Amino acid sequence: MASLTVNGQTYQIQSDPSTPVLWLIRDVIGLKGTKYGCGISVCGACTILVGGTPQRSCQITMADINGAPVTTIEGLSADSSHPLQQAWIAHQVPQCGFCQSGQILRATQLIANGKIPSDADINVTMNNICVCGTYTRMRAAIHSAAGG
Amino acid sequence: MRYAAAIAARRASSAALSPSADRDPSCDCEPCAARAAHGAGVGLNRRNFLFSGVAACGGLLIGVGVPGRARATGGTYRITAWVSVGTDETVTILSGSQEMGQGIYSALAQIVAEELRVDWPQVQVGPAPLAAVFDNPLLGAQTTAGSSSVRGYFSALLEAGAIARQMLIEAGAAAMGVKPKACVAAGGKVVVKATGQSVTFGSVAAAASQLKPPKKATLYSNSGFVLVGQPVPRPELPAKVNGTAVYGSDVVVPGMLYGAVLLCPTRGGTVATMGPAPSGSQAVNLGTGIAAVANAGPNGTTWTAMQAVKQVKVTWSLPADAAQQTSKIILSEAETLLVSGNAIVAETVGDVASAQAGAAKVLTLTYILPYVPHTTLETPNCTARVTARTCEIWASTQAPAGAQAVAASITGLKPQAITVNCMQMGGGLGRKLEQDFVAYAVIASKALGVPVQLVFPREQDFTQDQYRPMAVCRVTVGLDKSGRIVSWDFRNVSPSILYQRGYIVDGQLDDQATEGATGLPYALPNRLMDWVRHPATVPVGFWRSVGNSINAFACESAVDEAALASRTDPLAYRQGLLAGNARALAVLNQAAALGGWGVTRQGYANGLAYHEQFGTLAAVVVTITETSGVIQVLNVACAVDCGMVVNPDTAAQQIEGGIVQGLTSALWSQILFKNGIAQTSNFDNYRMMRMADMPTVEVSLLQTPGAPLGGLGEVGVPCMAPALANAWAKLTGKRLRTLPLFPKG
Repeated sequence: MASLTVNGQTYQIQSDPSTPVLWLIRDVIGLKGTKYGCGISVCGACTILVGGTPQRSCQITMADINGAPVTTIEGLSADSSHPLQQAWIAHQVPQCGFCQSGQILRATQLIANGKIPSDADINVTMNNICVCGTYTRMRAAIHSAAGG
Repeated sequence: MRYAAAIAARRASSAALSPSADRDPSCDCEPCAARAAHGAGVGLNRRNFLFSGVAACGGLLIGVGVPGRARATGGTYRITAWVSVGTDETVTILSGSQEMGQGIYSALAQIVAEELRVDWPQVQVGPAPLAAVFDNPLLGAQTTAGSSSVRGYFSALLEAGAIARQMLIEAGAAAMGVKPKACVAAGGKVVVKATGQSVTFGSVAAAASQLKPPKKATLYSNSGFVLVGQPVPRPELPAKVNGTAVYGSDVVVPGMLYGAVLLCPTRGGTVATMGPAPSGSQAVNLGTGIAAVANAGPNGTTWTAMQAVKQVKVTWSLPADAAQQTSKIILSEAETLLVSGNAIVAETVGDVASAQAGAAKVLTLTYILPYVPHTTLETPNCTARVTARTCEIWASTQAPAGAQAVAASITGLKPQAITVNCMQMGGGLGRKLEQDFVAYAVIASKALGVPVQLVFPREQDFTQDQYRPMAVCRVTVGLDKSGRIVSWDFRNVSPSILYQRGYIVDGQLDDQATEGATGLPYALPNRLMDWVRHPATVPVGFWRSVGNSINAFACESAVDEAALASRTDPLAYRQGLLAGNARALAVLNQAAALGGWGVTRQGYANGLAYHEQFGTLAAVVVTITETSGVIQVLNVACAVDCGMVVNPDTAAQQIEGGIVQGLTSALWSQILFKNGIAQTSNFDNYRMMRMADMPTVEVSLLQTPGAPLGGLGEVGVPCMAPALANAWAKLTGKRLRTLPLFPKG
């Protein structure tokens, strides 16, 4: 039996070790904020933080994580107070919202340690798909959250 | 009829712009019905609308989960079907339309709250249960389609808010020992006008809920709007940034098993034989494919089901015409039909043949469009719990009544025995009007005797879609010596959404295929629009803006080509075609100003397009450049006039989103078929707009007081393809008449 730490809580996992972390989070642990979009690590809807770094969870297993703590959108803050969550609301970013957990977690990298990202930085890092097309508002929200 | 509502919305919208819409209020023809729903409510049975379903849905409120807001901590009292008030002063307003990203929870609740006079932070919004009282009056169904929600519900929701407010005032007045007439409602309170004494709605909610609803609604908004027109924040957004929003695929029902589908790769095929499921799962024959459902336990996951479904041995019965369902053959057939097919006239004005014969120059322009998938980010899915006597469904659906009907036909149960829980959608785009995914979940739950959540893996979403129809459109334009259009002959050849569903027979017109090509606002004194049905059997469906995005590409490309052939600036040319139409010219000129039309810069070009749909006028100017033959879209400026805007922020979001979908589909999107099998199966070989591809976007919302309300959900899409093609032609001299414009990405 292996253990998986998600949002500070440790779970004993008995599932097949080949099960992608996405499905352990969603269907075994029951945290549904992390989404399935493509299953091939292309769209980014399943983005989580592994040891603080954004990773797409649909193609990584427990072995890939190697005990590192996982943060999902539910664990980003206790009360939606993370600067990105606040900026996402202030700019009314989400439409359908299905990609937004992944987008927000992806964006954490851009503002970590007081970084002020440029538009070019945002273009490179924010490579998740948003079918609704909220890109312009996401860009504005990231700049706001960074205080830039 | 599952699709009747969507079709009604679309037909009604074309009538909204018709100058002859002023007709007998007792007439129920489509233009009059549309006018009734838009305008003063003539012909609408308000009493029926407001109250008939009260008994049916009383008590169901308990089950309404409103994400992102704290539930009422004390008692909650239903004042009317639409409005409940908690003793903690929360006000719950139900939405008859489903939230799929379009911000309808704010727009519709704003209309109710306008008359109720509550502060917006008090308001929480949830999906209405399936009941006739919540039907969209424009559609006659509780369906979310055809950019019809605000247009359809507007008048009725003002009255719904007023009725509830009148009941709260009556209760409040009694509590304060004054007459209702002496009171007004403001800020969620009943206030005595003379003294300023007040009681909160929450404190009189229990008493108000016992009152008989007044017969007549008295509208505060007759003297102007307070909340309507304001960019209030969307109530469901907090839950969308912290992971607590519950979409259809997030539902967990006790005892539920996870499943995945695998449908016959050849469209139209069925299961001939099905082998056993791999250990740890069960297989279900769905007819057109199979499902695998993972057994409970540590491996009872969607992923297990997705792996298992591929391991079941299946043989397929293929349709006889499979080999014909190949893109090259379909296109070649369309080109033949363009010349020799049985064309059905959708619109004819003047004498095209004579005018064309006398033209100084005739342009014959043929435009080709591919099948395009929806690719909602949440793939189709449904959760069903079927028992001997009941069936409960949890679905991200645009058409809950359709879901109920499908479940009834599969289970043999009466519709009353079937409960549909409408979940938020991770995108709808027309895909979630379909009932295939609902049917499969019901079949699986019925077969296994347990609740089942059935999900389409992304590969199934791509390959088992009901696509935007492919089309070949030919526009034959006759020009006189001065370059004016003297004849306009538009023929569309495309598979029929309505025919495939059995709503029309051979020889009848599919007005979904011709919308956006008839009733053009331009001065075209001799014009003919006709349509030839393509018999290809690749399934086609309603794709955001439907016929509009097909026909606008051909129409607005052709207008530009006519302008260039006449050596006239495309803006000036359109201004000439719209002469005297102040409203259209305002939209066109606003887009031109916003997009920097007329500013020339080496290596850059602008492209323009104008289109009307759903009673809304839209114009787009794109600015592009190119590097080594690769287009770069730098800016999109869009002006829109939908009459009156309920929420300018969500309105802008809809246009922004439509622009992005329009860009993706125009630049890169297509699904090719080989022997009935879709050749694209996931995002790795299907390019979509991403952050780095994004132009800057500017949206300008114009308003025309007194104009009928127009729709907004789809109008951002159609102008994009022609505006891009027009800009590319200007920049490079090369006219692209085939979508996608850049199939290699």
